[in-house]
Amino acid sequence: MAGSQATGADVLTRRERWLGWVGGSLFTLCLGSLAVVLVGGLLQASFGSYSMTLAQTWRAVFNPDVIFNWYVWEAFLFGAELPEMGHDSLIVWHMRLPRVFVGILVGMNLAVSGAIFQAVTRNELASPFILGVSSGAGLMILLTLVVLPSVTIVVPFLVGTFVFNTSQLLPVLAALGGAAAFLVVYAIAWKNGTSPVRLVLAGVIVSTVFGSLQTAMFFFAEDIGIVQSAISWTTGSLTGTDWKEVRMILPWTVLSMGLALVSSRQLNVLLLGESTASSLGMNVEKVRFALSGVAVLAAAASIAAAGIVGFVGLIVPHMVRNIVGSDYRKLVIGCLFVGPALMVAADVGARLALSPVQIPVGIVTGLIGGPYFLYLMRTQDRMGEI
Amino acid sequence: MPDDRPPRTDGGESALERETDRPDDDSDRSGDDLTDEPASASKRGASEFAGENLVIGYPSTDEPVIGDESVAVAPGEVTALVGPNGSGKSTLLKGLATQLALDDGSVLIDGEEVHELDTKALARKLGLLSQENVSPTSISVEELVEHGRYPHRGFFDALTDEDRRAVDRAISLAGVEPLRERPVGSLSGGQKQLVWIAMVLAQETDVLLLDEPTTFLDLHHQLEVMEIVQTLRDESDITVVLVLHDIDQAARYADYMVALEDGSIYARGPPEEVVTEALLADVFEIDARVEETARGPRIEPLRPRHDDEPEGQCGDPGADR
Repeated sequence: MAGSQATGADVLTRRERWLGWVGGSLFTLCLGSLAVVLVGGLLQASFGSYSMTLAQTWRAVFNPDVIFNWYVWEAFLFGAELPEMGHDSLIVWHMRLPRVFVGILVGMNLAVSGAIFQAVTRNELASPFILGVSSGAGLMILLTLVVLPSVTIVVPFLVGTFVFNTSQLLPVLAALGGAAAFLVVYAIAWKNGTSPVRLVLAGVIVSTVFGSLQTAMFFFAEDIGIVQSAISWTTGSLTGTDWKEVRMILPWTVLSMGLALVSSRQLNVLLLGESTASSLGMNVEKVRFALSGVAVLAAAASIAAAGIVGFVGLIVPHMVRNIVGSDYRKLVIGCLFVGPALMVAADVGARLALSPVQIPVGIVTGLIGGPYFLYLMRTQDRMGEI
Repeated sequence: MPDDRPPRTDGGESALERETDRPDDDSDRSGDDLTDEPASASKRGASEFAGENLVIGYPSTDEPVIGDESVAVAPGEVTALVGPNGSGKSTLLKGLATQLALDDGSVLIDGEEVHELDTKALARKLGLLSQENVSPTSISVEELVEHGRYPHRGFFDALTDEDRRAVDRAISLAGVEPLRERPVGSLSGGQKQLVWIAMVLAQETDVLLLDEPTTFLDLHHQLEVMEIVQTLRDESDITVVLVLHDIDQAARYADYMVALEDGSIYARGPPEEVVTEALLADVFEIDARVEETARGPRIEPLRPRHDDEPEGQCGDPGADR
């Protein structure tokens, strides 16, 4: 310890060392998460109805003809014609890996969305779905599947017409339903401004009502297939996801993650409480709405690709906070890595545990999330406020 | 520390403007020899800060807590708001800090209406330390103080050298240099309060409002806080307004006092004019003995007064309620 005669340089090096230590834990966390994603991805690529050896998979995954081929990526990311490629590479890159990529994006979105909502409500138990997003999306999913099962929508456009089937529109409708529910929650909570408690209460009200309506919809479902499809949407599933889903949510993910990263200082100031934030010159109401909007955008994107995956958005910010602390500049970065790790690992279980039967990934995240919270409850005296 | 406060014989030139429309003004009340003159700058460059015809209430109640009061604060000096629980002193401070919407009236800083200022521009002129503050436990003292620079930074701006110097100045003025890298969660209540004060100091405002900064602190940290306030008065142009629960402390450290009772200003002026046995009986409902000392009036509380008791129990001629 330098003690009282610490010079300026001393203070600086001590600060650097301290920063290095914290940065180190964040770095280790990110590296560990990357390893989990990599192992999970390789497992997903190796196993399935067409079985390959690990060596075969490895060669197919790291096939330079695919990775460094612009036309392949054009096909994946912009939906162009897929060029010729080997059988193994086709299976791995076209059938199995898209699911891993969707898992990565969904995990990021949910984790960061949860982290933002935990700052906005100043409550560690907030999740991406706390402001009614999941209930709005769930109701919309049920409405689409049950009430309008096969309505075809024809939209006349400048040249020709767009023809949509409602089942094709389901992801978009679900995301829109979630966003609409969020706006309803905000409108209910608004009374000369909002407060975290009123927002959460309004979220509970809207979730309860929409949840009831959603359950009522199950009653009118005509066959078990619709019910199963509805359940897989409302518990969250990556089954059958494709590059199409990647293309759909990638832009929204990049946008919302970028916004979350640049807003991390605003999130830190929000954590100091409403009155401090506003006496520091923050327009708390505006910032809160904008940040909630970013979080809802991320959550809605994840719903559009995978349905309502629970627990990821709740526990990932927790795990990261326990390791790197509550500085959002680090927390958001940590969430960007740990969210995908959890999601990909859970999806390995969802796809391969009961093979050939696949279960919705939301069931696995719930099975992981519950015990993790039990563990937290037993080890931490104080939970709740950040 | 020698008593280096400004002379307190300037009652006729007081910086505290008296409200004009109190119906029950009676002429023998302390502080009545103040004139109606507006604040006169006692320090060059210090900010003028005033609230005019303030009506302040909470959204949940119909009746305003503060009903049509005006306060003009002495620029560059320390003004203490005192009063019993529920007298509206914190409400008045929150109204002045624009934390509560005004039902009527206006708050002016250097002649500008504060509600017309952009929130960040206002936060560069006017700082507020609330009574209770929360922060994540893992954040370091330095990081918390850096948040004080929020109003000086744009959305994408990193900390500039000027910001870092302001943070260093605030940390050394608040005397929390040894705590700099400690997580806030590991500090005692008193240390935390000093750190929060460092944060508002880093804001580098012209006017600083402190809401009960010494309540719940041990004596050592109470004196630390008041020493910072004293330093601000002696060595800077910052205008300080603080709510103090302890009237003795207010009498000792403040240049001017404003005593509130039931949402209206009962008396205002330098401590020796405000702190009288009559005021303690009327506003605080206690019998007390007030002793004039070189450090201002000293109060020896004797007993609480009850409405049904006969008057003037302690033989105090001023207790004429």
